[in-house]
Amino acid sequence: MLFDAIKNKRSNLFLVVILAVLIVLPWILSGYWTRLITMVFMFAVIAKAIDLMMGYLGYVPFGNVVFFGLGAYSAGIGMSNGMPFIVAMLLGIVVSSLVCILFGTPVLRLRGHYFAVASIGLNGALMAIALNATGLTGGAMGIIFPVISLPPDMINKVFYFAMLLLMLLAIGINVLIIRSRMGFAIRSIKSNEDAARSLGVNTTFYKTATWVISASLTSIAGAVYGYWMSYISTVDVFNVMISVTSILMVLLGGVGTILGPILGAGIFQVLSEVIWSQFLELHSGILGVITILVILFLPRGVLTETRMLIRNRAMTKKAVKTNE
Amino acid sequence: MLFEIVLNGLLLGGLYTLMGTGFSLQWGISGIINLSYGGMMVLGGYIAFFLHRLINIQPIVSIIPAAVVLFFFGLLVYSFLLRPTIKKGSFFVTVIMTFAVELVLENFMLLVWASDYRIITSPYSSIGFDIFGTHLPFIKALIFLMSILGVLLVYLFMSKTKPGKSIQASALNPAGARFIGINVEKMYMYNYGIGCAIAAVAGALASNINAFSVVLAGGLLGKVFVITVLGGLGNIWGAALGGITLGLVESIGTITVGPEYNEALGLIVMVIVLVFRPRGLIGKKFWDV
Repeated sequence: MLFDAIKNKRSNLFLVVILAVLIVLPWILSGYWTRLITMVFMFAVIAKAIDLMMGYLGYVPFGNVVFFGLGAYSAGIGMSNGMPFIVAMLLGIVVSSLVCILFGTPVLRLRGHYFAVASIGLNGALMAIALNATGLTGGAMGIIFPVISLPPDMINKVFYFAMLLLMLLAIGINVLIIRSRMGFAIRSIKSNEDAARSLGVNTTFYKTATWVISASLTSIAGAVYGYWMSYISTVDVFNVMISVTSILMVLLGGVGTILGPILGAGIFQVLSEVIWSQFLELHSGILGVITILVILFLPRGVLTETRMLIRNRAMTKKAVKTNE
Repeated sequence: MLFEIVLNGLLLGGLYTLMGTGFSLQWGISGIINLSYGGMMVLGGYIAFFLHRLINIQPIVSIIPAAVVLFFFGLLVYSFLLRPTIKKGSFFVTVIMTFAVELVLENFMLLVWASDYRIITSPYSSIGFDIFGTHLPFIKALIFLMSILGVLLVYLFMSKTKPGKSIQASALNPAGARFIGINVEKMYMYNYGIGCAIAAVAGALASNINAFSVVLAGGLLGKVFVITVLGGLGNIWGAALGGITLGLVESIGTITVGPEYNEALGLIVMVIVLVFRPRGLIGKKFWDV
């Protein structure tokens, strides 16, 4: 994990180089690729938020996209009532956290797949409400954000850096959580919740707190996405496909690793884009086939499998040396 | 008015019960949340639709070929995709796998039949009769009876026949079942296939009264979720209770707040039930909660 990376000076340097490349990239690439990579960052944030629940706490939030939608809609409603973006975004965080606390305290009692189902239900219910509360949300017409008065090239760069910053924030929060008391608490909940509770871990508090953090990250991503697209509709931002593909990205990269979900988001999004441009009609079918292949042949994700491959090779080398 | 609401709710509830039964069996006994259930229902609908249109087989008869096709499709999916996944990965990887199957299935149906809405119009679809001043279309009553018959057949198979009992034993106590010579893996596989066959039958029946299309697969899955969770898992009475509850909720909702809230109402009721009774209204502990 990143611990090894931080201790290890060489991979530390590697990360700095990657970051420098990412900062320079928007000046080199065309607008199309800049937007694509911005999308990768966005999905990396959503996947990171899901991995916090799935990889560390052991609860899979299939309906986490609800916070993406809440973030986008809160920002949209706030901004069309004259709030600046930052305030509208904070409004989204507050709304999402409130939903988390009100809804999470009873629902997080449900173990495993009941929680997953309940979170899908929450998403469906809020989506239907947003679709029908025409007075507040514009209903099926969606919400139009205020126009940004910048040249399109600048807009691309602004949102590129906004999403990059958000992704770094998500990584930072993840590292902080793992190192803190909370990290130990949530990992103990994952491995055995009853034992954790009997040792005095306040499981309900930590579960809800983790979900609030996960929801806040997702809702910021939603707010930035809404402002970026300048138009949102319910089928767009409450689409369960967003959380399902994000879960797939987590699986693809490696569950419970710091950089895995980000790697998974990159691979998946670029692959999806290539398939989209080459075989438009077969798009979802090919994605399905790729998913099947990943699950059958890379069940632990690219990052974990590669790491194991390297470790095995190193061990073989060592064994050969000692034999000689 | 009240009679009409209750009658509509019950008629809808019969079909919902059948829909929920297959999904509930797959989830409660084989331990698979089958996200491709909606797609399988739509596929069943297409099979019935084209058998009726191309070689004029009565839609009530065509549920049999639809069930057979989906049963074998289910067996293939289980043995080549789901079994290896269950062995290697966690529960959620299996869920994602069924979602991948759904993606492929939906894409296939979209390519072959496009996304046009279709409905089966049989010779008797315009007949109806009146009870207590309420108009009752014959086809709705027929679908209701067929659904109830289907559920009863599944119940009899599960509780009275040897393979059915073996399937139940595999869910209740896998180790014990293995000990008395039941091939537990095979029972899970057959159970999954039966669930898919029920999906096809429900889809074929529903295509007589509602227009269907590939794009509805997700919505159907949502309904099935609600039915199953409301009642309880791995339990036909649970599916019946959930199905009739959802039927009544939708029929009341249509009159009071309008049909566009139907989906939300069902989900809200489901979430409330989940909060107070995580195992569903009468769910047993077949699968860990």
